[in-house]
Amino acid sequence: MKHITTLLLVATLGLAACGRQAVRASEKQFLADQVMIFDDDPHQTSTNDHIRSNREGAAGGQGAGGGGCGCN
Amino acid sequence: MQLARSILLASLAIAPSIAMAEDRAEVSTTLFLETRDGAAGGLRVLHPQADFGIDLGRFVTFDLGWTADVVSGATASVYQVDAVSTATKFEDFRNQGNVAIGFKGKRSRLTFGATVGTERDYITRQFGGSASIDLPGRNTSVAIAYTRSIDQVCDRENADLKPLERKALVGSDACDKKAGLIGKDGTMTVWRDIDMDTAQATVTQNLSPTMNAQLALYGQILEGFQSNPYRRVRIGPNAPQEHIPATRARWSVSLRINRYLQKLKSAVHVDGRFYDDTWGVVGGNVELGYSQYLGKSLLVKFYGRVFQQTAATFFKDAFYYETEATAGEYFTGDRELSPVRSAIAGGKITLIKIGGDKPVIGLFDKLQLNARADIMFLDVLAADSLETNARGIDKQFIYGNGLIDAITIQLGVLGNY
Repeated sequence: MKHITTLLLVATLGLAACGRQAVRASEKQFLADQVMIFDDDPHQTSTNDHIRSNREGAAGGQGAGGGGCGCN
Repeated sequence: MQLARSILLASLAIAPSIAMAEDRAEVSTTLFLETRDGAAGGLRVLHPQADFGIDLGRFVTFDLGWTADVVSGATASVYQVDAVSTATKFEDFRNQGNVAIGFKGKRSRLTFGATVGTERDYITRQFGGSASIDLPGRNTSVAIAYTRSIDQVCDRENADLKPLERKALVGSDACDKKAGLIGKDGTMTVWRDIDMDTAQATVTQNLSPTMNAQLALYGQILEGFQSNPYRRVRIGPNAPQEHIPATRARWSVSLRINRYLQKLKSAVHVDGRFYDDTWGVVGGNVELGYSQYLGKSLLVKFYGRVFQQTAATFFKDAFYYETEATAGEYFTGDRELSPVRSAIAGGKITLIKIGGDKPVIGLFDKLQLNARADIMFLDVLAADSLETNARGIDKQFIYGNGLIDAITIQLGVLGNY
């Protein structure tokens, strides 16, 4: 558990650290494309979770929608 | 009968609460077919969904959704070595509606949502909220969400009987609400509570002009009656209702990465998830996907996923429940708590029509037609020693013995206006 917490912290800080200067507004053309949006099809996502959770006890928490932040 | 599904919906309740309006309408229907062993029947689920979202001015959004399940098939009512001979046919219908209102600022969004779902033996009431914000630079988005679910499940009135003496519900109409407290067959029933608290935190990050990532942390606490009231477990000469702990805490972490391939007009998707809970179930999955544009209006996607989990600490193969005893206080025949692995392969085609100066069919700025199909392979593994299991584990669930265990077909239309 301790290792996992450490890993999570490092991953979160790593993601945040490279964030501010990572991409300029003028460079977000591809990030705004629908293939780059996490869960761009909510019906497909909910249906997948619906089906899998009846066959997997380890279901839930696949991730929230949104993403491609600042692209619109 | 649909308890597990309803619990899932609670875990998914976050989804509608973070729905994004922006004037859209989406309608889809999914057909799920699972093969079952021989004449024992199969499972067929028709799953229509409809969602509508509108902007009420600049800062307020409103979402309305409906979904249903029309289920028919056969399942094992008694968890024993020869599950096939105990298969019971059933039909069920579930209705669920959700509503959400959102408030959006320049870089932030706040959403509140509520969901109500009913079926003859389960009632779910959920409410929750979510908040998200784009951090300065607009390359990092942080979101948190919380859902409280107050559910009730119909159960047989077993009064103060001990777990090994409790009887399961029998028949599909025992909880028929029109019959009041006493079911059509004279069974006394009672509504038992199950409460769920679900929280999720998500960080989405632009890593480069062609790559982004999302890290999600999920936690859920379930408290209450979590057994399937219909399921029995053969223990020696008796078959009492399954008995599982009243409290379960679960968490998972997932990391997803998208990479756009500019020259190919395509994208690669990688997804990994780890799961752990207080019942001893540890699992994880890896998913890979590839999206490819074909011209301006056609998008195809291919994906594959593998999953595996360990069994709950109190789960035993049917043979050992029958011939030995329970693993402590609890006993279950829930295949979701058995060691399972699965693989899914699928593809999706999206036809995209953008209106430009003239709206698509006079109404939509953008219209998408989606069609997808998945095939699923399921494999239940042995939880206990196979060497001393004289009957094997093949028959303890009504699984198909064919190559493909299930298929999913989904058709949908999404319009932005």
